Amino acid sequence: MRKAKLWGLLGMLFVSELQAAAGQAEEKKILTEGETLNYHCVYTRKHSQSQKAWQRVMDGGKAETLAFTEKTSKNSQELGGRYFLEDNTTQGAVHVRMTNVQVSDSGLYRCVIYPILSNPEVLESLRLVVTKGPSASTSRDKNPPRDKAQTPTFPPATKAPVTQPPPKSTAGVSRPGLEVNPTNVTDVTRISVFSIVIPVACALVTKSLVLTVLFAVTQKSFGS
Amino acid sequence: MSLRCALLAWALFTLLRHGVAQKDSDCCGPIVPRREWRGLASNCDRKLSLPKSYVVVSHTAGSPCDTPDSCLKQVQNVQNFHKGTLGWCDVAYNFLIGEDGLVYEGRGWDIQGAHAGGGWNSKSIGISFMGNYMDRAPPQRALRAAQSLLACGVARGALSPNYEVKGHRDVQDTLSPGDRLYDIIQTWPHYQD
Repeated sequence: MRKAKLWGLLGMLFVSELQAAAGQAEEKKILTEGETLNYHCVYTRKHSQSQKAWQRVMDGGKAETLAFTEKTSKNSQELGGRYFLEDNTTQGAVHVRMTNVQVSDSGLYRCVIYPILSNPEVLESLRLVVTKGPSASTSRDKNPPRDKAQTPTFPPATKAPVTQPPPKSTAGVSRPGLEVNPTNVTDVTRISVFSIVIPVACALVTKSLVLTVLFAVTQKSFGS
Repeated sequence: MSLRCALLAWALFTLLRHGVAQKDSDCCGPIVPRREWRGLASNCDRKLSLPKSYVVVSHTAGSPCDTPDSCLKQVQNVQNFHKGTLGWCDVAYNFLIGEDGLVYEGRGWDIQGAHAGGGWNSKSIGISFMGNYMDRAPPQRALRAAQSLLACGVARGALSPNYEVKGHRDVQDTLSPGDRLYDIIQTWPHYQD
């Protein structure tokens, strides 16, 4: 019985470490369908003269280049027409604009140096979350509503279902999610429930596991 | 007996977990607040979304100071120059470091600074060493104060645990933070060019 408690605690600690590791270094933006993403990646002066590219990173790590800046004009080629890049070398920033974002645009994006090497030099990463209809909240910890993946409007077609980040991390690593068909109202309720109940439940579970172990240890040391 | 011990252990552990879950600001060393150095009110309104992943280190290129009294005066001077002469909403930096070994609150963790240009300001915390460090280095106590401040930033959740330090000259065309100080920050564990 005591062994089971100890293993339970170790398991919980391991999981929380994983969550901590997954939630680092990604910026996150939450937009509503139809809005325009305005974002910028910064870079140091050693990259002033380099071209930059905007990529989407798929599940499994494969990256798709959506736009890249021209050598002379510092503005982007319009691959697909929705992505615009403007490299401001004085500021040390590449400004990215993605118009009319859709739920299917949700995912991981990044600025990289162009031409892209086999081991790409990544400037910054962005986790984009696009919600349907009026945004439930702009808080970082909220879950986006789940929805069937819509037909993409640009090549190549993305067939992966809209991914669901794990509820507790602030910027989760994306994982194939379950496909559900909730209505908008249920979505809002579900979001509030998930974002409150799950963190609280997890905190309680962690604490009680820790207490149980401590209790077990004190029992043992008092020879009962 | 064992029940009492268990209750005590429970109380201690709840406090410990609670403390760890909080933003650990108790780990922060002393920072001279605005009110203490008699700073003029800030008119800045651009907030920083935290945590930030970058720290930009600069120097003021102005006069150094090595006592709390003289540094208090010097922070006021820097603010007067930025607000009065340059017409900015506040002193440019999020924090300033004196050769007295103290950290001075500038715009703080939550307000965007004006220390590294339009791209980097919204993405970084700017700290500035008061003085000109082309030909001389800041004293150890000032460097320690800066390191302590950055550790504090991580503890508070204002800086990502894997934040990157840049020299001002890495992000803008400038001599700042001065050759000697730039050499030093390049040895810092979080420095990335």
